[in-house]
Amino acid sequence: MSLTPLLRKIFLVDLIKGLKVTFHYQSPSEAITEQYPLERPIVYERFRGQPRLNSNPDSGESLCIVCNLCALACPEQLIVVKGERNPATKRKEVVSWTYDLSRCMFCGLCAEACSTDALELTQDYEMALYSREGMILDQAALECGQEPVRYAK
Amino acid sequence: MLEAIKGYLSTNTTPGEAGSMFWATIYILIITIGISLAVICMNWLERKILAHMQIRLGPMRVGPHGLLQPFADALKLLIKEDIIPHDADKLVFWSAPVVVTMTSFTTFLVVPFGRTHAVTDLNIGILFMLGVSSLGVLGIIMAGWSSNSHYPLMGSLRSSAQMVSYEIAMGLAIVSAVLMTSLQTGTGTLSMIGIVDAQNAQQTWFIFKFFPLGLIAFGVFAIAMIAETNRAPFDLPEAESELVAGFHTEYSGFRWSLFFLAEYAAMLAVSSIAVTLWLGGWMRPFPNWLSGSAWNLAFSFVPALSLFVLAGMCLLGALRMPRIPQMRIQTVGLATFGSLLGFVGLVLLLPGVRERIQDIFWFVAKVAFFMYLYIWYRGTFPRYRFDQLMKVGWKVLLPTGLGVLIATAIWGLLPQLSTAILGVSQ
Repeated sequence: MSLTPLLRKIFLVDLIKGLKVTFHYQSPSEAITEQYPLERPIVYERFRGQPRLNSNPDSGESLCIVCNLCALACPEQLIVVKGERNPATKRKEVVSWTYDLSRCMFCGLCAEACSTDALELTQDYEMALYSREGMILDQAALECGQEPVRYAK
Repeated sequence: MLEAIKGYLSTNTTPGEAGSMFWATIYILIITIGISLAVICMNWLERKILAHMQIRLGPMRVGPHGLLQPFADALKLLIKEDIIPHDADKLVFWSAPVVVTMTSFTTFLVVPFGRTHAVTDLNIGILFMLGVSSLGVLGIIMAGWSSNSHYPLMGSLRSSAQMVSYEIAMGLAIVSAVLMTSLQTGTGTLSMIGIVDAQNAQQTWFIFKFFPLGLIAFGVFAIAMIAETNRAPFDLPEAESELVAGFHTEYSGFRWSLFFLAEYAAMLAVSSIAVTLWLGGWMRPFPNWLSGSAWNLAFSFVPALSLFVLAGMCLLGALRMPRIPQMRIQTVGLATFGSLLGFVGLVLLLPGVRERIQDIFWFVAKVAFFMYLYIWYRGTFPRYRFDQLMKVGWKVLLPTGLGVLIATAIWGLLPQLSTAILGVSQ
């Protein structure tokens, strides 16, 4: 029988090792807690959050061509797009566009299906609301982004 | 009036020795307030240090770095609904927290914070402390039994078993320290002040006496005292994951906070026993080796300097606060707290105060080290199983304590033994 395990037990080597680990963790730079409203977390590049309808930055026209691919791709069928052909430009234009955020699971299939990069899931993550009202977004809300709830005293 | 105060302050006696009821009352008041303040500080420090050990931040919102959190908690506890369970034994339920709190505060009667800074110097001081502090378990059993509920009863049963097993090891360790006091004078002492004086006379802390015997006895006591105060890793009576909260499950509000107060006061009490017995009590480091007026002066600046360091840390923290309007109040608060600490440090620089406060500072610093150890252990060690706890108590600590006691006695008698043997042989 070797003496080392006994000596390790007597001199509490394992306990001291543990104490060393916790002692080193005390440095404030080790803390990984984020002070949320003051410090904002950096989300990953491919994070899928608040949906947005993009418009052409030069002309301000909506990029959506009412192809209905997003509505077809959506597994929750929460996107409803209605459009009408404009006889002058011979292009389909949006009449109503709704996106039910309360049912969305942020799978991103709609944004993948979009043929013109009009629909996009952005990095915004502050989508909490007090009630389900206002969770069905129309075109205007989708284009400017949903207004986050401000908590104030 | 001022003359009377000055006259008393210039004498070197404890109030008990001087027979002054007035000063004894003042000392008791100061100690009670001091212990309560220490418990408040401990509450904050424990949460912060434990949080940092677990890579968290701990309380950050109530006051700068959560400094006001203990006060917020105390307020919350005071205005909480006071519940006595329907089937509880009302009288016992009511008196249990009182018993626990009273016993843990009474022990401080004999704790010497300095040569003159003790309420009284009982000649059986250490015995008194042990006796009174083990009465505390009675309160725990009362709480567990009177709640008329499963978890509290389990908790208090565990507590009583644990106390009985560890009191013995603790007592043996203490006896070996008391034996050491008799080495030069021939008569030992149980008085807390006498024990520190013996360490002064023998020019060594008892932890280094008869190396490694003093160290082993101290180690036995250091483990037993954690078990005595029901702290992690021996916190079986209040094992959160098994027994909800153990013996105080049914308590709420102010009664619960009394248990909390008592637990921390008991921790302070056993830590002061350890400091008095093995770490030289109120004595500053190296009182004999680094003696002389220059060293005395240098060491008398340490209390003020340490407060200045704390104040500096607060001010640095205030500078590093995020500069946004919401945090302005907190920044100002932290800066004010820092300057308050700095002011106290300045007061401690005054010659009269400096001389008077020194021994208290060293005692408190040593106790604070033990308090840190308590938190450190809690942040590191997982809880022992009950059979492991019993095994450590009866199979490891008890024989070790007994062996150390016998070895200390033999070592202490060696000079006399050798002369006796040599005398016979001649």
